[in-house]
Amino acid sequence: MKTVTGDLKKNLDALKKLLPADDILTFEFTSDKGLKFAAVFADPITDKELLGEQVVRALKYFDGKPTAEAVGKHITSPEMKREKALDKLAAEVLAGNPVLLWEGMDEGIVVGTKKVFTRAISEPSTDVAVKGPREGFIEDVKTNTSLIRRRLKTGELKIEMIEVGRRSKTFVALCYLDGTAVKETVEEVKQKIQEIDIDIVPDSSYLTHFLASRPYSLVKQVGTTEKPDIFCAKLAEGRVGLIVDGSPIALTVPYLLVEDFQSSEDYFVPPYRATFTRLLRLFALIVAIYLPAFYIAGQLFKLQLFPVKLLLTIAGSIRDIPFSPSLEMLLVLLVLEVLNEASIRMPKYVGMALSVVGALVLGETAVSAGFVSTPAIIIIAFSGIGLYAVPNLIEQTSVVRLAMLLVAGSVGTYGIILLTAFILLYLVTTENFGAPLLSPFSPIVGKDLRDSVLKYNLGSLDTRPKTLKSPNRRRLK
Amino acid sequence: MTKKIAPRQIYLLLACIAPVGKLVFLPAHLARYAQNDLLFPALVQYLVQAGAVFLVLLLAKRGMSFYEMLENTFGKIAAKILICIFGLFLLYCSFLPLLEQQLFVQSEFYDTLPSLVAFGPFFIFSVYLCSKPLSSFGRTWDILAPLAAAGFVGILLLSVGSADFGALAPAGAAGGSGFLQATAGATSWFFDAAILMTLLGKFEYRKGMAWKGTLCYLAGGAAVLFFLATFYGIFGPLAFNQLFGFSKTSKYFAGITVLGRIDYIFIYGLALVMAFYVALPLQGGIDCAVQAIGEKKYLRTFLSIGANAVLFALLIVLEYRMKDVLSVISGTLFWIFPIFFLLVPALSLLLRRRRREV
Repeated sequence: MKTVTGDLKKNLDALKKLLPADDILTFEFTSDKGLKFAAVFADPITDKELLGEQVVRALKYFDGKPTAEAVGKHITSPEMKREKALDKLAAEVLAGNPVLLWEGMDEGIVVGTKKVFTRAISEPSTDVAVKGPREGFIEDVKTNTSLIRRRLKTGELKIEMIEVGRRSKTFVALCYLDGTAVKETVEEVKQKIQEIDIDIVPDSSYLTHFLASRPYSLVKQVGTTEKPDIFCAKLAEGRVGLIVDGSPIALTVPYLLVEDFQSSEDYFVPPYRATFTRLLRLFALIVAIYLPAFYIAGQLFKLQLFPVKLLLTIAGSIRDIPFSPSLEMLLVLLVLEVLNEASIRMPKYVGMALSVVGALVLGETAVSAGFVSTPAIIIIAFSGIGLYAVPNLIEQTSVVRLAMLLVAGSVGTYGIILLTAFILLYLVTTENFGAPLLSPFSPIVGKDLRDSVLKYNLGSLDTRPKTLKSPNRRRLK
Repeated sequence: MTKKIAPRQIYLLLACIAPVGKLVFLPAHLARYAQNDLLFPALVQYLVQAGAVFLVLLLAKRGMSFYEMLENTFGKIAAKILICIFGLFLLYCSFLPLLEQQLFVQSEFYDTLPSLVAFGPFFIFSVYLCSKPLSSFGRTWDILAPLAAAGFVGILLLSVGSADFGALAPAGAAGGSGFLQATAGATSWFFDAAILMTLLGKFEYRKGMAWKGTLCYLAGGAAVLFFLATFYGIFGPLAFNQLFGFSKTSKYFAGITVLGRIDYIFIYGLALVMAFYVALPLQGGIDCAVQAIGEKKYLRTFLSIGANAVLFALLIVLEYRMKDVLSVISGTLFWIFPIFFLLVPALSLLLRRRRREV
């Protein structure tokens, strides 16, 4: 490991060798008393104004001994550290922190004048609330941790920074409440994060793979949120949180499936209303997954599933359709998925036109041309809407819906029941960080049911969820 | 996941899941021999089985598995042989529910009779289910029990209005021989204590568990008896001809003409529970074999594939001989059941209580 020597020129050459990029600049200046300084910095990510203000101007009149202590005292930046290793100094330059070297000194000073480009804090589009806080995380880890610190003004809040990614050197903030989170879980998360040996970490979703007990599973095993209020509430329940620099989506573990049926708003409205909306979400999801499948199975294998009048309507509308019921449904579903995908990716001003073309023109024309039947479009439309009642599970539920549709078309209702049994068994046997995914329903945890699909009055939620095994159970005294 | 089963989960198994196996062929079978007295043979069976459940739960106090008890008393080799015999009995037990389920699926899930292949996917599920250790199933019962209870209550609510309970009178009309025939034949549907034997050592005994478990089992039994009464109240003397009992009673509900077969929601719920229940003796049998051979990687999976393949082959061979199979299992060979579900737990109470010193 190369270290800084007393020869400024040699040090600069060594750093240049380590950092040969064109955007790494060196600013050399001399104090009034003739001492030579050099600041090495990465041009696009260093705040040059601050560098000039806090370092160059401050050292212009430097007249003391050229020691690190004396130089450090003159620099007016609140963030600085001394470092001897050249590779570490180079890493700091790449992180946006200028390195100050001077003649005759065998160590450098790293000054924290990083330039941070951030967008304004805004309401996240995936988690909109009518009532309650509207702030959302942004891509800067420091801003995000400040949003948490502002809500949890306690020394128990621990934020540990871990660097992940051989090239990206992304900061991951491990957050937990000391004494509330389970120590073993904190250690396990820390160990799993530290063991990640990956090139770059562009987003927090990269980490979920490493945190899951069944990494190749379709089932979600790590909680996600874009809202600091939800994040803090989860920390307060005893969970461990992760914020990744460059990602507005924070992660929390252990994750329970029931979390995705809850929204922050549930805690700001009367409990009966919250219970109703949670049950509604569950109902919408079940209908979204099963309705197309049962419609197909009913048509193909068991006509008794339909009331007589409805059966006559269906029979009338499918009479001239050239495709089999399952193929027809698959085609409509495929069109819906394509429309969905296109409307997310395409520019906003084209989106409206796409909706008109897709939903009205395409749907209406397809029906009148006799390609698809009206009931198929209604069912898929309803299913499509229902799926968005639980937006955090869309990736999983859309795949399950497709699988149900295929099974219903080939084996009928019994296939749907068997696939449900299979999924149920899989979910029941999945656990992560010691918490069963389906808790508090399986295993049944009586008290935790009070904030599950049901929502009790705040006064009844006096303890933290038992499933999370927090050492500090009581939250309401 | 090899955590122990909670006592609560055992209670749920006994109260909510075990009754599901008694709702398909059993009502028609009882009505065939006992006619309007069908409640009495069922009651006798439930009382006897509850006694057996009580004995098994008493055995649970020792905190040992059935195999460990056998090994402590008779040594390794004899224990391996005995546990294999017990495992074979469980595989034998699994055939009747499997046959029931297959015929139920073919009859109730399809308008036209599908090929046996339609039932084939059950064995894929069963292989997956049986490849998991028995102790990992407590959590499934947590989910299935409310589903079973809701399904059962739903069907009863839709059915009870159409029932004429007067059809059950006068008691004793079927006579002694009818009662005895019905009771003997019904034995083939009662092996819950034997299943519970395979769970010994996989759950912890809590004070009063034997009584609580027995009461739970009897509560489930009471629900089944009520269903039987409703079943006979609806079909009367024609009840013997109504196979797949629980899917037949609710279709006379007045609202069905307007709403369609809404009772299918409950029937499908119960069918989901049944898929797990049917595989339970099969899982028990495989677990016995694993204990005899010793836990090895993929052993459970291989055994599971083997056992399911054999049962599927048997179903294919016997597809059109359901009546003969029924008469052999519930007629000629009915005596096998009490040996294993009653005699074995009773004799097991005499086995050594403490672990042998090594």
